[in-house]
Amino acid sequence: MKLNSLAFRLFRTAAVWAVLVLPLAGLAIDWVHSRDTYQSFDARLSQLLTLNIAFSTDRGGPEPGIPRNVGEPLFELAHSGWYWQITPIDNSPGKRLVSTSLASESLPLPSKLGLTPDRYNIIWNETRGPVGEPLRIAETIYNSGDDENPHFYSFLVAGNLEFAETRVRDFRVPLVFSLALAGLGLVLSTFLQVRYGLQPLRTVERRLSAIRSGEAEMLEGKLPAEIEPLQTELNALIQSNQDIIERARTQVGNLAHALKTPLAVITNEIGDDASPAARKVAEQAQVMRDQVSYYLDRARMVARVDVIGRVTEVCPVAEAIARALGRIHRDRALEIVVECPADVRFQGEKQDLEEMIGNLADNACKWANTRVLIKISVETRASERHSRRLLISVDDDGPGLTAEQRAQGIKRGRRLDESKPGSGLGHSIVVDLAQSYRGHFRLEEAQLGGLSARLDLPAA
Amino acid sequence: MRILVVEDDPDLNRQLVSALSEAGYAVDKAMDGEEGYYLGETEPYDVVVLDIGLPKMDGISVLEQWRRADRNMHVIILTARDRWSDKVAGMDAGADDYVAKPFHMEELLARIRAQVRRATGHARAEIECGPLRLDTKTARVTVDGQPVKLTSHEYRLLAYLLHHAGRVVSRTELVEHLYDQDFDRDSNTIEVFVGRLRKKIPAHLIKTVRGLGYRLSPETDEA
Repeated sequence: MKLNSLAFRLFRTAAVWAVLVLPLAGLAIDWVHSRDTYQSFDARLSQLLTLNIAFSTDRGGPEPGIPRNVGEPLFELAHSGWYWQITPIDNSPGKRLVSTSLASESLPLPSKLGLTPDRYNIIWNETRGPVGEPLRIAETIYNSGDDENPHFYSFLVAGNLEFAETRVRDFRVPLVFSLALAGLGLVLSTFLQVRYGLQPLRTVERRLSAIRSGEAEMLEGKLPAEIEPLQTELNALIQSNQDIIERARTQVGNLAHALKTPLAVITNEIGDDASPAARKVAEQAQVMRDQVSYYLDRARMVARVDVIGRVTEVCPVAEAIARALGRIHRDRALEIVVECPADVRFQGEKQDLEEMIGNLADNACKWANTRVLIKISVETRASERHSRRLLISVDDDGPGLTAEQRAQGIKRGRRLDESKPGSGLGHSIVVDLAQSYRGHFRLEEAQLGGLSARLDLPAA
Repeated sequence: MRILVVEDDPDLNRQLVSALSEAGYAVDKAMDGEEGYYLGETEPYDVVVLDIGLPKMDGISVLEQWRRADRNMHVIILTARDRWSDKVAGMDAGADDYVAKPFHMEELLARIRAQVRRATGHARAEIECGPLRLDTKTARVTVDGQPVKLTSHEYRLLAYLLHHAGRVVSRTELVEHLYDQDFDRDSNTIEVFVGRLRKKIPAHLIKTVRGLGYRLSPETDEA
């Protein structure tokens, strides 16, 4: 997973959620649970205190007695951590009474510590019991007399806090476990969501790649509603790209037509006129003619570079060119043979393939004695970017070229023999086109005896 | 030999007509596709020089329609759109050759000569008949190596007979192939030129086949 990816963004969100928010939620839940536990513990103490007062003062007289059973057997069990204590204060009559569980011990009165009572007149405190157990104490001051002759008694109930603390602790284990599980589930579900949710984007990526490799022309197929506008826009962009190229090509063609006819007129108007002015015009017209051809070819190539990939069936192109050349050279009994396995495809524009094969085959036909062979094959090479390579060789049985001439033959405008018609641009156009496809062009000696022109281009 | 030039550019059209006339061809011209189609459909041309980019009807359509109508004259297409797809389209439509603009007139003339030779089944630029020899490249006629001075009409007539040597050529065929459409087609002129030619070359070479026409042949026993 790449750092700069949607998948990572979604993962990061889930991870931040799991690491920050889940512990905070855990703390909040724990706090609420602790509060409820201690509140219900306090409520229980408060209830026991009320029962204690009620059951120790229901015999009449100002002096409280030992309360009847208040429903808590732990008051009877020694050092259970659950105690009650009744203490006369301010010289009220009677003696201090304690629960059996407290035995001979006594508990300090919170009222003597200057603590403030709550709205129910209960003073709360925490302390340690006779055996060091943590205690929660609830105390209230009760007047068993009247306003004129008051008798104050401290009623105190203590509960063992370990009960509450254990409940709180016991709750934390499943809480942490379940939150950790939730976090893990969140990350896992995010992973699945990312995989499932981003699946259409991967589909788009695959289809775009198919367009680049020339297997498709448009981004087709049904995509989710969120990506549909993107699909529409991309298709419009591809279409617009193709339209621009097509328009550029048309304009280039129009420019060619517009310039070449006047050039033909100028060239022919001079004719055989040998005056210096006429020769200069003829020379410059030739320069213009070469430049027009050169830059029209460049314009065609520039218009094509970086165009979304196209795929061209090779055999029909080679066969059409062989057919056209056969017609042109039919009185020379020239045998033009195309050897092309079925389904060979060039990764590039049809027009460019036509220009390359056309120029090479045209040259071969001009020089061949009896035979021209256009041979096409496909080779797979793992070392190159486009591992499938289209190999085209155009061989003739003409006089051929020396190694030095072959090296010169691929230079621009170099005509090795002025006796054959042509602008001399054929091979260099092929060189430029082949290079624009990151391909190679070279001239070799043909097995037929003449020249072998070889192209190495990306195959689809 | 009669040639039709279909080219919409007036200057280029004029140059083509002029150069072809100078080279000894009878030349008709058309400035648009429709006119070109009509002339090619109705007149017997040996070769047509046809521009691809034409007003009213493009050159490819003109050519296709001629071929559909079984008009089998040799056609050289002129094209400024010199991509191979254009050339292949032109050849597939039935052209016999193409010349890309801008071109040298000599190159076009050479291609036309090649088409004329092809039409008449001659492989070489020189055509011979007994002591008579025609160099189509230079339009020079010699008898036993000695040059013969000919007017343009005489040259056209002799060249046509030489291209079709051994075959009887009717007067009508000669008129149709030697004169452009504006020429006063009086068949007597053919006889006048044949008479003049017989004075300049060995007279027995041109035989009159009564009721049929003329035949160029080196044999003397038929004289």
